[in-house]
Amino acid sequence: MNHASQSALGPAALGLDVGTSRIVIARRSEDDFRFESQLNAFVAIPYSKITEGVLEREKIPHTVQSGQIIVHGNESEKFAGLLNAETRRPMTGGVLDAKEPESLTMIREILTTMFAGHRAEKRQKVCFTVPAAPLNAGGSLTYHEATLRQILTDLNYEPVSINEGLAIVYSELESSNYTGIGISCGGGLCNVCLAYLSVPIISFSIPKAGDYIDTSAASITGERANRIRLTKEDSFHFNGFFADKVHQVLGVYYDDMIRSLVTALKDAFTGTSNLPKFNRPIPMVLSGGTALPPGFRDRFEKLLWEQEFPVTVSDIRLAQNPLHSTAKGALVCALSDS
Amino acid sequence: MARSPILEPPLWVERRAARIADPVERLRFLRREMRRQPRQTHRWRAAGLIAGLVAMVAIVPLPTGTAETFAREKRLVAPAVETTPVDGAARVWLVDKSDSTELYSNGLRVDFTFAVSNRARGRFPIFSLTGGAEPREEGSKPVGIVYHTTESNLAPFAEQENRRLQRLGRGLMEWVRQDRSYHYVIDRFGRVYRVVKESDAANHVGNSIWADSRGVYVNLNDSFLGVSFEGQTGAVDEVTPAQVTAAKELTEMLRSRYGIATEDCVTHAQVSVNPQNMKIGEHTDWAGKFPFAGVGLPDNYSIPVASMYVFGFDYDSVFLRATGTRWRGLDLAELRVARQAGAEGLETPRYRAILQHRYKDIASALKEKSAEVNQ
Repeated sequence: MNHASQSALGPAALGLDVGTSRIVIARRSEDDFRFESQLNAFVAIPYSKITEGVLEREKIPHTVQSGQIIVHGNESEKFAGLLNAETRRPMTGGVLDAKEPESLTMIREILTTMFAGHRAEKRQKVCFTVPAAPLNAGGSLTYHEATLRQILTDLNYEPVSINEGLAIVYSELESSNYTGIGISCGGGLCNVCLAYLSVPIISFSIPKAGDYIDTSAASITGERANRIRLTKEDSFHFNGFFADKVHQVLGVYYDDMIRSLVTALKDAFTGTSNLPKFNRPIPMVLSGGTALPPGFRDRFEKLLWEQEFPVTVSDIRLAQNPLHSTAKGALVCALSDS
Repeated sequence: MARSPILEPPLWVERRAARIADPVERLRFLRREMRRQPRQTHRWRAAGLIAGLVAMVAIVPLPTGTAETFAREKRLVAPAVETTPVDGAARVWLVDKSDSTELYSNGLRVDFTFAVSNRARGRFPIFSLTGGAEPREEGSKPVGIVYHTTESNLAPFAEQENRRLQRLGRGLMEWVRQDRSYHYVIDRFGRVYRVVKESDAANHVGNSIWADSRGVYVNLNDSFLGVSFEGQTGAVDEVTPAQVTAAKELTEMLRSRYGIATEDCVTHAQVSVNPQNMKIGEHTDWAGKFPFAGVGLPDNYSIPVASMYVFGFDYDSVFLRATGTRWRGLDLAELRVARQAGAEGLETPRYRAILQHRYKDIASALKEKSAEVNQ
């Protein structure tokens, strides 16, 4: 993107991907995009003055409440490891967790930490992601969206929301005039959006994603879900045979997740009567942390080709940067709104 | 599930959007124009279709970039091809056959314990080296071999590890059979297993490119046989002497059976590409240290990398690290691209972009064809 076009874009804007496991902010910097991410998690540790002093000195984000120190964001994982405890999360299944008492406080703290040092210009626009409604299931997203909107307004931003799958389309499918299928495979949900010339036509989510794999594998192997997640992110891939039990179990549940996603895609697209007539095959993009293991795209492609998919797909590709593409798409949306 | 009404914008919206280079501006334009589009009735949709057809006849075909690509390609001088002549492979013949094994005249013994069928090998397109998205001819029998590693778990290659070595090997073979991953696998003791029948395609190579004097091959599952070494890149016992010996015998047999040229016996890393970022080496098995001499082949890392000089693919530092010692084939491919760009009076990046357009057109056509076949 060139400088001339930047000047035409109006005031700076932000893209914000609020995911179950990570929160990512995207900013525009000269010709490039910059990203900042924090784990959307926290851990409570017993209060002591010494511990608090160390955290202050090391500038580790934390809050003190009810005789506990709560460490949030990226550092929470390290502390959970030290204490042999599970991290807690403000969100589950793609939305704010109603059962987690610290949910609102923590998400506000994490966002405040991330926005710190970048105080909003007056009514700076921030486009934040929200999941789509689950396929064939009820469930209201209103509370989740309204709460995030309120937190961002309190922080002096002008919030607008975007569907997660659509954000993938805006991030990755410029070359097809924002026509195609964006799929975000995150922690809590897989979000899907079919867009035609930037307009979302079909969007839905399924509740099988990274967390489903972690918890299912944990229940089989007896490992902690946290540990399973680390193994999954560090060394799992689809291209080989694994003698090791954790990898084998991960493979089984990954396969189950992909099959569910492919089936949902087929059902949703087959069951709709208002598909536009595409004058050429359309691309499909996979994104999100759960799509990262080597071989994921190939496995997905293989299973999709086994189905009679009602839309002709030109190619299935992995996003250029699967961990950041949702935030980038939200930013592109915010900039185009400015 | 959320659904929006059908929108059928006029043709000019899409065309004008395609001319806007800035992604944000393009999105802004599309969102504005699409908001203006009313939901259309069937009558209007029919009228729109007729108008569209008239426009299609009257106006130049749509795909952006393609027309320009072909216009330039028509003028391109055919790249000079430095080919290796198809050399005479030693004659190897079948000596004995049972339900479970085959014995060949060079000592090769093939085990069928894990043999399986897959989809029949299809006729595959062979594209011209000099341009165009239409295939010049079609092939039906294997033209080459791609060598892989299974990247599976390994035990130390030692006597006291016998049981574990065998257990891992068996598990691997079960997995490879289930996935129809290769035509042949050579285990760590040098046993050669036939997995997918030679008359069928194996799922071994995905997005890939290679070229020889006959033309250019894109996505090699149908045109190349897959031979994999049980092994893991970078492991201490990456490959055993028994595997090298077996690979030599297997290569001799396949070359003899299909008249395969040495230049078409290459590694997965040499042919693998990532169309998403237009870089070579999406898979890096045998990116370095493939025992070409031991397998009875010349150093094929010296052959110019086809994806680079035919379709303008590039490489990155990660790939170079994987190769260990830089291949001569990378330098030769770069040189060829630069020379060709010079002959055309184009900057190298511009010339490379033209080559890349050609690849995208071909890849898109192949996907479409594959989708049709699957339907």
